[in-house]
Amino acid sequence: MPNYMSQLKGDVSRWVENGLIDQPTGEALVADAEARSPRSFNFGSVLAIMAALLLCAAILLLVAANWEAIPRLVRVAGLFAMILGFHVGGVWLKQSGSDALAEGCWLIAAAAFGGSIALIGQMYHLSGDPSSALLTWCAGTALAAISLRSSPLTVAAISIAIAWMVTRSLDDWGAVPHSYLVLAAMLWLVSYWTQSRPARHLILLSLILYMCLNAVHVDVAALGVSLAIGASLLFLLSVRAPEAVERIAQIGGRLPVHCLFGFLAGLALLQIELVDEGGRLALAAIATFGGITAALILAGRESRMLRWVAYAGFGLELAFVYAETIGTMLGTAGLFLASGIVLGIIALFIIRMERRLGTTAIRGGQGA
Amino acid sequence: MIRKHRLLIIAAVLALVQIGFLAVMIAGRASILRNGHEVLLKVEPVDPRDLLRGDYVRLGYEISAIPAEMVAKAKRKERGADTIFVRLKKEPDGFWRAVSASLGTPSPTPPAEGEVEIRGTTTSSRSLQENTVIRIEYGIERFYLPEGEGKPIERDMRMRSFGILAAIGKDGTPQIKALMDGNEMLFQEPLY
Repeated sequence: MPNYMSQLKGDVSRWVENGLIDQPTGEALVADAEARSPRSFNFGSVLAIMAALLLCAAILLLVAANWEAIPRLVRVAGLFAMILGFHVGGVWLKQSGSDALAEGCWLIAAAAFGGSIALIGQMYHLSGDPSSALLTWCAGTALAAISLRSSPLTVAAISIAIAWMVTRSLDDWGAVPHSYLVLAAMLWLVSYWTQSRPARHLILLSLILYMCLNAVHVDVAALGVSLAIGASLLFLLSVRAPEAVERIAQIGGRLPVHCLFGFLAGLALLQIELVDEGGRLALAAIATFGGITAALILAGRESRMLRWVAYAGFGLELAFVYAETIGTMLGTAGLFLASGIVLGIIALFIIRMERRLGTTAIRGGQGA
Repeated sequence: MIRKHRLLIIAAVLALVQIGFLAVMIAGRASILRNGHEVLLKVEPVDPRDLLRGDYVRLGYEISAIPAEMVAKAKRKERGADTIFVRLKKEPDGFWRAVSASLGTPSPTPPAEGEVEIRGTTTSSRSLQENTVIRIEYGIERFYLPEGEGKPIERDMRMRSFGILAAIGKDGTPQIKALMDGNEMLFQEPLY
């Protein structure tokens, strides 16, 4: 919450200056907020995780290179030693208070496990099914995440699961593995245990990807519409009963953002399918604009991120309609005119709405 | 203090479980190499664009496609992948070729002298009656090489026929033992 903290510090110093509160109270307020805000952004931790990810990539590529200078058995032994060493070393670091370094070590251990699976496939020329190797890797990483209660490992397990789903759907014609849903549900449960909110965000995004891949394989229009409708219903639910939804999802109130994203993805699929059908395409475009506006009105006040997703969706939609529904030159001219007028009206509308949303923010010194 | 040790023990056990799992994988493969039944399979030329992807050579076999009438009637699924057991027989030129096949379960008659059963998965997705050939994958369709060593082999493979010496385990699982250029062994795989 660095944004909130910097804004609060600004507010408090102004209040102190204006004499609304005294200096000690201001300091106490800031100190309290700092103590309560979740782990603030920490360059050290981020760099540690990034370093770990680079080392992971190095391990995996070293295995892939099949470098003969290191005998195979030494490679196997080295990877096994890394699995043991980085797991145990990570616990040691965690106990000495270096959480980020510990998580980094565990990520490297997970990469060593995946690298070992790849190495065995290479040693014995297993053409098999590369996706089943990914699944094994995912299971091993999830097991580690559960044992060590590690949020980064949970995210890693989900990333591997997503890689598995994508490889499977690219490998076989017409087959997105539906068992991914089961996998995602299990990893979602794991994310409660490991207290990993990023993991839940990633799962929600992956479900949208899952629907999109399915749409490409099965029926673009039908699945696009179902994704949009499903996302809208979930959006309404999460706006109507935010506390109840948050109790289950535990996602920091960001569920509406995911829903809007899913809604936009679904309608994008639909419009790609309808690209040559003027009338129905126009309907889909109107539905998109309507949905974005509705989302802004219903939840735009609470979430800055939702507003940005809405703006981005709006811009892309406009660009798409602009580029695609051009028929004849005359039609193009008419469309330019109509787009201009519609854009103007919508812009006016948005400015007015922003003013409404911003009334509190303007007094606070900053609008979005 | 106990708690401290508990987490260390959990991490160590976790690592050992993962290592144990990997070791079992290695042991299983090594045991096929050590004890499996040796067969020599003829490598078919594959579309050159498919031959080399990254650092492995893609292999197609004579026995990767077998005529549908060779398959004994058995319970079968309408679509999709199915386990298939293909019976191989050694021919005078040294290569082993398919003589019959059975879907789902191994053929009830045990293989005769000079015959062996190999396990594969059918990849044709249409029902078998419509296919005159059945395409099969055996899990030995790749030969991994050190980085950069694939190109010369790819070139030679287009000019003359290569063979794969495979070991076949008790349950029919094949395992590549060596890449053969005629009678010359190009790469032989150690057990570990």
